[in-house]
Amino acid sequence: MKDKIIAEDVSFYYGSNQAIRNISLKVKKNSVMALIGPSGCGKSTFLRCINRMNDIIPETKITGDIKIDDVSIYGSKYNVTALRRKVGMVFQKSNPFPKSIFENIAYGLKINGVKDKYEIEYIVEKSLKDTALWDEVKDRLHKSALGLSGGQQQRLCIARTIAIQPEVILMDEPASALDPISTQKIEELIQVLKKDYTIIIVTHNMQQAARVSDYTAFFYMGELIEVDKTEKIFTRPSKEMTENYITGKFG
Amino acid sequence: MQTHLEMDIENIKIKMFAMADLAIEAIKLSIDSLKKGDLELAKEIIKNDSKMDRLEIEIDDECIKLLVTRQPAASDLRFALAMLKINTDIERIGDLATNVARETLKINGAPLIKPLIDIPRMAEIVVKMIQSGFEAISEKDVNKARSVLPMDDEIDELNMQIYRELFTYMSESSKNISQSLSLIMVSRALERAGDHAKNIAERAIYYIMGDDIRHQNPKGI
Repeated sequence: MKDKIIAEDVSFYYGSNQAIRNISLKVKKNSVMALIGPSGCGKSTFLRCINRMNDIIPETKITGDIKIDDVSIYGSKYNVTALRRKVGMVFQKSNPFPKSIFENIAYGLKINGVKDKYEIEYIVEKSLKDTALWDEVKDRLHKSALGLSGGQQQRLCIARTIAIQPEVILMDEPASALDPISTQKIEELIQVLKKDYTIIIVTHNMQQAARVSDYTAFFYMGELIEVDKTEKIFTRPSKEMTENYITGKFG
Repeated sequence: MQTHLEMDIENIKIKMFAMADLAIEAIKLSIDSLKKGDLELAKEIIKNDSKMDRLEIEIDDECIKLLVTRQPAASDLRFALAMLKINTDIERIGDLATNVARETLKINGAPLIKPLIDIPRMAEIVVKMIQSGFEAISEKDVNKARSVLPMDDEIDELNMQIYRELFTYMSESSKNISQSLSLIMVSRALERAGDHAKNIAERAIYYIMGDDIRHQNPKGI
């Protein structure tokens, strides 16, 4: 499988504080990579480097390079709007727009220039079906998205993300605020979505990382300690520090 | 301070080692009873096997509880998986000691047709294999676990030697047949105990290193 994302020697600074240190990491196309590590280890910062979300935070600096499909996303001519269309993101707290369920998904399409009403309807339905939400909301598409449950709202946010057909989906603890059933649905969804997308997920829940991901990267104090197939990380990690973290000896 | 996970693991370890001690004791006593024709001792070995059976169930339950409630990972996960299997092996070794005791009862105190040399030797090796396997687990010493593997070959050779010898006895006189068959059964039980002791060492290697070395040529390790 081809490498979709290649990070080369990436360091990131909040002012003078170096949050991540010389991270080099490859993510294969159509795979799920979990980023694990204790709070403040730099995993979310690294995730946000992949769609240049950190650009909007003042006094930050990045060195090194990240390539998607072999093209440097930090190149001077790179179109950041196009990047964020290509790299969707789902956050810890679901953040639907205060609009109808339909509009939540249609909005992204409209600002991306899709005008055909039937095409929009088709994509809204398909996105909701792909996120297993269609049956639950098909009779209330024009009611406010804020009336949905937390788990439904999160799946709506994922539907909104995939509606504009990104290639990569970044998830920052997408299920940490959800109940077990909703969590399970999100996890199952990740398995389905990886057929079409490359997914990177930050999670504090190690069992979740073990369940959903193909590869796991362990971060500690801004450094990438170990990255390997998930099964190997959780049964026989190579580094003692990884072992200590996943067996709960610190973190 | 120990975490609950560490306490659970420690608890399983204590029971597992108690089980190993019982199995070693059973093997040693079963050979003593055979050598001396001690029928009371043989009966006691058979009776005591229930202690191991109970421990086996307790250890299985605790391993399952550990998996469900603590969701262990890495070496802790390998520990639980290895113990579930070692538990079965060590319980089988206990059963095989009772097989030896049952043959002692069949021989029923009759004088032995030959002095026992190779059979006690086999039992000594089995005991050594179990001890080394468990020391390897306790010390996380993979070389010690590996040292157990070739010992099984020695047991297999002794077993074949005993077979040949007893076939000769049987062909010499039909009076020898009954006891020869009993001794063959004893030898067979010890050979099987050796196989289980080897399994324990292999699972110890899995626990320590994460490598699965089953069904491989031992010379290649």
